[in-house]
Amino acid sequence: MLEFVIAGLVLGGIYAIASAGLVITYTASGILNFAFGAMAFFIARFYYYLHTEHSWGILPAAIVAIGLAGPIMGIFLYAVLFRYLRFNSPLIKVVATVGLLVAIPALATIIFGSGAILQAPGLAPEPVHVYQFLGVPITLDDIIVYICVVATVVLGAGVLRFTEVGLKVRAMVDSPAMTDLSGTNPDLVSGGVWAVSVFFAGLTGVLAAPIIGLDPNKFTVLIAAAFAAVIAAKMRSLPIAVGVGLLMGIATSLAERYLPSNSQWSGEIIDAIPFIVIAVVLLYSLLRRGRMGDVERVGGALDRAITPQGESRLAGSTSGALESGSLGLISKYAGPFLLIVAAGALPLIVQGYWVGLTAAAFAYAVIFLSWTLVTGEGGMLWLCQITFAGVGAITTAELATTHGWPVLAAVAVGGVIAMLMGLVVGLLSIRLGDLYVALVTLTFGLLVENLVFTLPSFVNSGLGLTVNPPSFATSSRVLAYLFLGIFVVIALFILNFRRSTSGLAMNAVRWSDPGARTTGVSVVQMKVTVAALAALVAGIGGGLLAIQQSTIAPGTFDTFLGVVWLAVLVTIGIRSTAAAIIAGLSFVMLPALAQAYLPTWTGNIPPLLFGLGAISAAKYPDGALAEQSRRFRNQLLRLADRQKPPLVIDTLSGPALADDAVGTATGTAQSAVAVGKAP
Amino acid sequence: MLEAGVGTETSVLSARGITVRFGGLNALSDVDLDVAPRSIAGLVGPNGAGKTTMLAVLSGLLRPTQGRVWLRGEDVTDASAQARARGGIARTFQQPELFLGLTVREHLVLADRVHFAPRRLWSDMLDPRSLLPASSAENERVDGLLELLNLTRVAKAPVAALPLGVCRLVEVGRALAGQPHVILLDEPLSGLDMKSSENLLSVFQRVVAQTDRDVSLLMVEHDVAAVLALSNWIFVLDFGERIAADCPDVIRRDPAVRSAYLGDEESVEGEPEVPVAGEGGEVEP
Repeated sequence: MLEFVIAGLVLGGIYAIASAGLVITYTASGILNFAFGAMAFFIARFYYYLHTEHSWGILPAAIVAIGLAGPIMGIFLYAVLFRYLRFNSPLIKVVATVGLLVAIPALATIIFGSGAILQAPGLAPEPVHVYQFLGVPITLDDIIVYICVVATVVLGAGVLRFTEVGLKVRAMVDSPAMTDLSGTNPDLVSGGVWAVSVFFAGLTGVLAAPIIGLDPNKFTVLIAAAFAAVIAAKMRSLPIAVGVGLLMGIATSLAERYLPSNSQWSGEIIDAIPFIVIAVVLLYSLLRRGRMGDVERVGGALDRAITPQGESRLAGSTSGALESGSLGLISKYAGPFLLIVAAGALPLIVQGYWVGLTAAAFAYAVIFLSWTLVTGEGGMLWLCQITFAGVGAITTAELATTHGWPVLAAVAVGGVIAMLMGLVVGLLSIRLGDLYVALVTLTFGLLVENLVFTLPSFVNSGLGLTVNPPSFATSSRVLAYLFLGIFVVIALFILNFRRSTSGLAMNAVRWSDPGARTTGVSVVQMKVTVAALAALVAGIGGGLLAIQQSTIAPGTFDTFLGVVWLAVLVTIGIRSTAAAIIAGLSFVMLPALAQAYLPTWTGNIPPLLFGLGAISAAKYPDGALAEQSRRFRNQLLRLADRQKPPLVIDTLSGPALADDAVGTATGTAQSAVAVGKAP
Repeated sequence: MLEAGVGTETSVLSARGITVRFGGLNALSDVDLDVAPRSIAGLVGPNGAGKTTMLAVLSGLLRPTQGRVWLRGEDVTDASAQARARGGIARTFQQPELFLGLTVREHLVLADRVHFAPRRLWSDMLDPRSLLPASSAENERVDGLLELLNLTRVAKAPVAALPLGVCRLVEVGRALAGQPHVILLDEPLSGLDMKSSENLLSVFQRVVAQTDRDVSLLMVEHDVAAVLALSNWIFVLDFGERIAADCPDVIRRDPAVRSAYLGDEESVEGEPEVPVAGEGGEVEP
């Protein structure tokens, strides 16, 4: 047994270092770095590039990759991204790091070349020396992991708690503005924090490479497992994070020892250990009826006072529920209407293969609408919509092909099953806070992907599952119009929702939890309902995608790809239904166009752009395209309102107007602020 | 006489034996409180006395370690914040908790519908009635409130654009739109200049005096002079314990209160003249 405990400490040690890096970064910056795995992969791949591909020695390669490239990457990312995120909502922080999660592996592939590397060296010279400890063989790589764990805990906790640097870091978390006024440069401290964070990521990557190889997806799974320790530590306790990380490694090793090796379930239970830890922690927290503390405001009163209001939104500002005025409505809905008409013309314009792609794009657009609902309206970041799409696809195939159901009825049932799953995940996670929703949905996606989508009956010996289209839609063109029709129905539902009392209530929930609750709106019910409806939409979209593709391999619904989908939508516009259709067309057509007309290496450029687009959520939370559309609309409204007097707010006696009118449909908070500042 | 409201039957809001512990710290210890119908009660005390914690307990945002809360004789201790809001407890916050994505009018409309048409929160998802104009009754109620609070002219403005004084009025409007029996006001005057404070205080008086409303106010406030001038009854907390509960005149002379909070005599002499607007500005329980 000792042998397995010691072996488990290696995997546990890697979990521990990763979770320590995540906790330290979160404690010092308020940002949970979802791109930690991507950063780890990038540095590990750079180390491999130097050490294996260019024959550098271990020490110089490690110093340059982990000691220099990692911190430089951290400082660079802080300078161009993280410093703008400080006072943003947890949601935008997560979206920006999710953008990095997509962009960094794409960048790595462009720089270092594609192809997963199954065996990569660690920090020990090869052949790796093996020692005996109490009769247990231990490699030098293992010993290096143990040393790094101890160093991480001692230095991490020691520096944060006992040194002046730690004091400055903690002061800066409380109030960057006050820290600045006290003579400490907050940018210097924060830049240092991010340098250390990416250093930890690089260390994790290089230590993990001998175990999991160099594959960005495996790194994401590894870090998702480390999230279990982070959740158990409530994001902040370094000793608990390290302890739980080590215990998970030991539990994995012992499970490998004692579970029957010939059972398929053994492997799945072993893979599920981190997710079991997450489920236990969440259930424990729910039983204690507590939130887990991710909603505390970063910064003090001074920081909030000097931060423009409205910075932290992800979704649009005004609900539009009671918006009136013909120009406002026309300018708001004319663009999307014309876009749908143009999209509708596409299947008539293009021919052959491209018609099928258009149908696929419309199916993706339906899936993307699930984010329009859950993130754009609900203000929650769900990272498992692709899982719901996969559930919809599998259910459609099983019911329609195996059990002979009408295929559209099978799609509907697939949506309902996804909705029920969304309901359960929502009930488990929403009460705990927005950050936990992102964490839980990511790990749920990975769990289903690894435990359910890999079942032999679904994999079907690699052949996947077949789905036949409805008898009236055997041609791709008819299929495209069927999907577009379904898209329009769901989009109209979302538009109605946005303008309705439900939309008002959801908007209220998104902006102020206590404000909504004390107005009589149930935050949990509202969020869970919207999340479940979004899962329904994703499930339906998945069923449509299955019909279009005829054959589906459940493994293709992998969580990381779902994150790329999200990045596509965030880039274009998370709140706009029209953006969903543009995102669907972009996601399908851009790679196909690149494949057809451009060199092969350009295939990684779209994911890189989508990742960078998602990062831009920090500046344009509505999405770059939606932002342009909004500016154009506001220009129109300003032209129309030019004759109207400005709004003057007399802070002494209350609001009043210079004359007898307030511009109708003032647009967004920003434009309203501008109006409010008018003399 | 208001202490007659100790019986839960005659109080709109009552609390008994409220105790809240945060780890080893007793934030509140065995606190009793009653708010009489159509009255203004003040809850005062030094910083850290437990006033905001008490409001959190009363509004349902915080569960007490011990003690019970009644709303119009009904035990609401185990009710959620939203259930209490629908039952008639509204509140405002020291840092206004407004919905930055909504306009002033939308705040009031939402609260109005939560009270008068709660099913619309769900049925409107599928019902396209939001495309139609709102009912005349709803418009009348909301417009009346906007008029009462002098918010008509910013009704369509997003609240993100508004100054603090107006934000406080919007919070009060949102609270009133839910037709509450009691509104809990958490430091409504903090950060306001004198004229905005006077404006808000006059609104409080008008609201309580309105015959078509049956609303009481419980106000946590550090402006002791204003609280003493406005309130019918005062509760004083210190270190989580209720050290006094009486009418303002008695509170002014209470040695324990003077020692713990009010200080020397001069500090409470200079009460501002609270503007009295509308009929029945003076509120008698």
